[in-house]
Amino acid sequence: MKPILRAVRLTKVYENEGVKTPALQGVDLEVAPGEFTAVAGPSGSGKSTLLHILGCLDTPTAGETWLGERRTDQLDDVARAHLRLREIGFVFQAYNLIPVLTVLENAAFVLELQGVPKKVRHERAMAALEALGIADLAHRRPNQLSGGQQQRVAVARALAAEPRVVLADEPTANLDSKTGLALIELMKKLNAERGVTFLFSTHDPRLLAHVKRIIRLEDGRVVADERVDAA
Amino acid sequence: MWALAWRNVWRHKTRSLVACGAVAAAVAFTLVFFGFVEATKTGMFEVLTSDSGHLQITSSRAEGAPDFDSRLIRHAAQVEAALLQELRDVQLRRVLEVPALISGETRARGALVVGMAHDDALGERFARKHVAAGRLPAPGSWDEIALGEALARALQVELGDPIYVFAPGTEGWGAAAYTLVGLLDFPQTSYEIQVAYLSLEGAQVLAAPGAVTRLEVHLSPGRGVPADTLIEETKARAAAVLGPDVRVQTWREAAPDMAAMLDMMDPGMTIFACLIFVLAGLLVVNTIYLSLVERIREFGVMIALGADRWRVMRMVLAESLVLVLAGTAAGLLVGGALIAGWADGFRMPGLDEVLAEFGLPVVLYPSVTPVQVAVTIAYAVFTALAAALWPAWVAGRLQPVEAMRHVA
Ligand SMILES: Nc1ncnc2c1ncn2[C@@H]1O[C@H](COP(=O)(O)OP(=O)(O)OP(=O)(O)O)[C@@H](O)[C@H]1O
Ligand SMILES: [Mg+2]
Repeated sequence: MKPILRAVRLTKVYENEGVKTPALQGVDLEVAPGEFTAVAGPSGSGKSTLLHILGCLDTPTAGETWLGERRTDQLDDVARAHLRLREIGFVFQAYNLIPVLTVLENAAFVLELQGVPKKVRHERAMAALEALGIADLAHRRPNQLSGGQQQRVAVARALAAEPRVVLADEPTANLDSKTGLALIELMKKLNAERGVTFLFSTHDPRLLAHVKRIIRLEDGRVVADERVDAA
Repeated sequence: MWALAWRNVWRHKTRSLVACGAVAAAVAFTLVFFGFVEATKTGMFEVLTSDSGHLQITSSRAEGAPDFDSRLIRHAAQVEAALLQELRDVQLRRVLEVPALISGETRARGALVVGMAHDDALGERFARKHVAAGRLPAPGSWDEIALGEALARALQVELGDPIYVFAPGTEGWGAAAYTLVGLLDFPQTSYEIQVAYLSLEGAQVLAAPGAVTRLEVHLSPGRGVPADTLIEETKARAAAVLGPDVRVQTWREAAPDMAAMLDMMDPGMTIFACLIFVLAGLLVVNTIYLSLVERIREFGVMIALGADRWRVMRMVLAESLVLVLAGTAAGLLVGGALIAGWADGFRMPGLDEVLAEFGLPVVLYPSVTPVQVAVTIAYAVFTALAAALWPAWVAGRLQPVEAMRHVA
């Protein structure tokens, strides 16, 4: 199958006040549709950088990125924003929801940006909340939710717009390991039932037992790419 | 988008209320100002023209030759007839001013004796405004006189007392005795203490049979402020039929200082309103910018989720508009209420005399037109957009990864 995400000799060097920090040093990577993949590695290994560049949030110093048939590394700000809006779902580590919006409005936010009419987007957001088991929280504000509930809202928001791929940078980092595990199980279930492609990063080894594929990064290089069939 | 903007604006209640209040104050102020400027203009115009006409016709020899003879329009009846034939729907006042010595039983003073005849409406208005006691001399009367109150006090005379007038070197009787029938009140004390009124005929037999020193033309009285173009056009027609012996002046030419002052009011008002809005706008900039800086991370998330630059800029503009329009609504209510409250007449407490002394209207009747309300709202909307420009530009250039990492 054609890959949905592809990186070719991807290099990223941050430069701050003349100090150059290589974050990615020639990463080659392909993710096929329907895969459930974790990017693992110690702190500073380049996990976030990789997800940001694959997700069109940032641009590489060198190398290519592809989203399906489309090359994305040279697009301008507005074109990248458009791709993120239409094709990619995001879940971030924390501070992810918009505090003045209700849970339902947060879940519908991407749809609103897409210009989906209110009735339709609330239906779709509600369906996503139901899939994540938090429909009863729809009218609360984010600050009335636990961390695990907040992250589920974030996943619902990413899913409501039915993106081609969901990227999650350490979605469980702020959760205790039981809650984190529950979130991963949920994502896995959605992956199995709906075929949504997930690519997420973690440095929690316990979660890795639950994924089908682990890409290990160290110092900005892929050191291992394991497929775990037993998961 | 508007709901989001509304909620974001009220996240920081106090700060937003301050900015909102500033806008409300600016709007209310501007509205009230509009009301008063308009009222002042109308009032000044009234003051300027009600006692001297929209057009004044004087002798062309009078310029630079202040002696009595040069000031006379001798063929007054002909001038008047020609004028009335050309101009319809106007009212006339004929005035003969005679410098004279005026005396009661015990005291005498130099004075200006004014003989006056006018169409009924003008006469009634003059009497309403100026008669403090008694009445004006009857039209055509030769032996009745009215004095400025201050002059009567100076001469120590009362209603019914005899008054003697000496106008030597003139062409009539040169002296006559009258009965005091009225006391007159004028805003300017300097005028009140030197003026005495006769009927026109009374003044003519005293000093200059058949002559006047001034003809006043009043356009469509009681129908608001006549347009400058109408006045100019009427002047041209009058000048054309009257020929070179007389000079026709508009009220602007007769009182250039006051006319200039009137003309200054609109630009002055505009500049003032702009300043007020600039000040309020600075508070709005501050509010919008701070709320942006506090929420950089949130903007980062929205941008990451796919909000493009224009969308983000629109969000910031929307917040500014919501803030300013909330203030505008409050300001319109307050301003409207103030104007409605003063619509029956507003007096500056304690300033009546001072204002009158300077020829300014004492009672103002503020009112605003829908256009002025619209202009005020336009000022506010412009302020909102201008104030949001810089924050919107900053927000539009945020990079998602950096913004999400931002520590407020
Ligand atoms: N904006 C930046 N400016 C300079 N250096 C940066 C920047 N962002 C990341 N880096 C550096 O790039 C390298 C990779 O960082 P990255 O955040 O991708 O690692 P990570 O694997 O996500 O780490 P963590 O597990 O701590 O989140 C690190 O050495 C980091 O210091
Ligand atoms: Mg990271």
